[in-house]
Amino acid sequence: MNPSLLRILIGLLLPLTARAAAAGDYIEHFDTIYNSLTVEKRGSIVELRARSRGIEALESAVDLSDPQRLVVAYTRSLYAALFFQPQPQRVMMIGLGGAGFHRLFAAAYPDALLQTVELDPKVLELCETRLEFKPTARTPVVLMDGRMFVKRDKQTWDWIILDAFRGGFVPPHLKTEEFYRECAARLGERGVFVSNLHATTELYYSDVKTIQAVFPQVVLFETEGRGNVIACAVKYRQPVITDPTKWPVTELLHRPPFAGRLDLDAIRREHGALPANRIRAARVLTDDFAPVEFLDAIKANNTGSR
Amino acid sequence: MLIFAFYSVVVTLGILSMGFQLLASRLLNPHFGSSIIVWAWLISTFLAAFSLGSMVGGWISNLAPAQRNRGQLIGAALAVLTLALTAAFGRTLLGQIELAFPAMSTALLVSCLGLFFLPVTALSSFGPQCVQFLATRGTPPGKASGIVYGASTLGNIAGVMLTAFVLIPHFRVSTLLYVWLAVAVASLAGLVRLLRPPTSA
Repeated sequence: MNPSLLRILIGLLLPLTARAAAAGDYIEHFDTIYNSLTVEKRGSIVELRARSRGIEALESAVDLSDPQRLVVAYTRSLYAALFFQPQPQRVMMIGLGGAGFHRLFAAAYPDALLQTVELDPKVLELCETRLEFKPTARTPVVLMDGRMFVKRDKQTWDWIILDAFRGGFVPPHLKTEEFYRECAARLGERGVFVSNLHATTELYYSDVKTIQAVFPQVVLFETEGRGNVIACAVKYRQPVITDPTKWPVTELLHRPPFAGRLDLDAIRREHGALPANRIRAARVLTDDFAPVEFLDAIKANNTGSR
Repeated sequence: MLIFAFYSVVVTLGILSMGFQLLASRLLNPHFGSSIIVWAWLISTFLAAFSLGSMVGGWISNLAPAQRNRGQLIGAALAVLTLALTAAFGRTLLGQIELAFPAMSTALLVSCLGLFFLPVTALSSFGPQCVQFLATRGTPPGKASGIVYGASTLGNIAGVMLTAFVLIPHFRVSTLLYVWLAVAVASLAGLVRLLRPPTSA
């Protein structure tokens, strides 16, 4: 190559690379024993994505300039549990992701315990090294299968949040009626079971029907944008929780760290109807029959059916 | 016709062996999760069963005809009885094992040995005897071995694909275990009959 042309090219490219380096942006790929993960930092936002089926699904994101900000919409919707159990003191979360949910919760409820169960050790390592999450005595993380933890755990919880994905799928044994019964057994009398569902495939209808098979009352919140639906379920029939007018007023649920980060009125508006017609035709998933991967591969036709 | 029946049984046994591995994973998952630890124990158990079954089968194939026939009957009966045990009591036993052995690897070892090792060992013992069957009918031993293990491996592939994409999405695991038992009874009865030494006139 002509030396003068080379100098021009270097002169053009150098400021670009220097600017990227100065901002500290990066993109890294990790193949763990359970996942293919991408961590990308752009400005102050660090995203944790899982590569699966030719796409990269956003698992979690954290704003390092304001770690308590809930960057991913569905992590805001998880707080819908407040409408049913407004004073969470003991919360179990299955699936760590990028710990996007954890920072605000720990700030808003400094005396509460948020116990996380994560299967993939690399996810925890990336949380600590890239997403600046440090587990504490109030936010411990245990590395084991979520169902194993629930089976062996003898404590009761105010909220149990199921947000476990592996390579874009939820493992079948975390989707069954038997597992939900095990979760229900670990909930306090007024506890709430919260599950992050994907409403884009046929699996969604079986998910809801299976939750209904265990929990007498189920309320859905349709997160804006990406097809996530947060199901909140309780194991009691009275009082009725399906009527939004009976939920606590937002002012009673407010905590100072929520200001500018969590709009509970917006979450209230996410309340959606149960897709009754489609649920009727769906099958309950059990340990004996759980074709989760098969149902998750069939795109849901939601037109006019919800 | 005889050879067609023979190859059908060889392929069917291949289907049963590897399809059973996927069913076994579905049995284990509710009790021990689906982590890489579970798969490591499961795959190792099946490979150990293939290994021991091949050696035992090779030993049986060199016995005198009457003893060989007795060995085949014992192998077939063991496969059927242990498959029946897994189908009828698999979930109950796994629940008991899970409670009895808090250490996960110990529980998995006991589960895999107790429920999966014996049926797969017994099914695998028929491989070398199928090689012997072809060899005694004039096929060179090396070629007979290649044909039998090639057909059996095709059956393994069919077993995995059929179980993963057709059977598990549409049927209960408990139902499929009884289907496995029924197919094993039919195919092993046919194979034992095929392998029976010709009676002299």
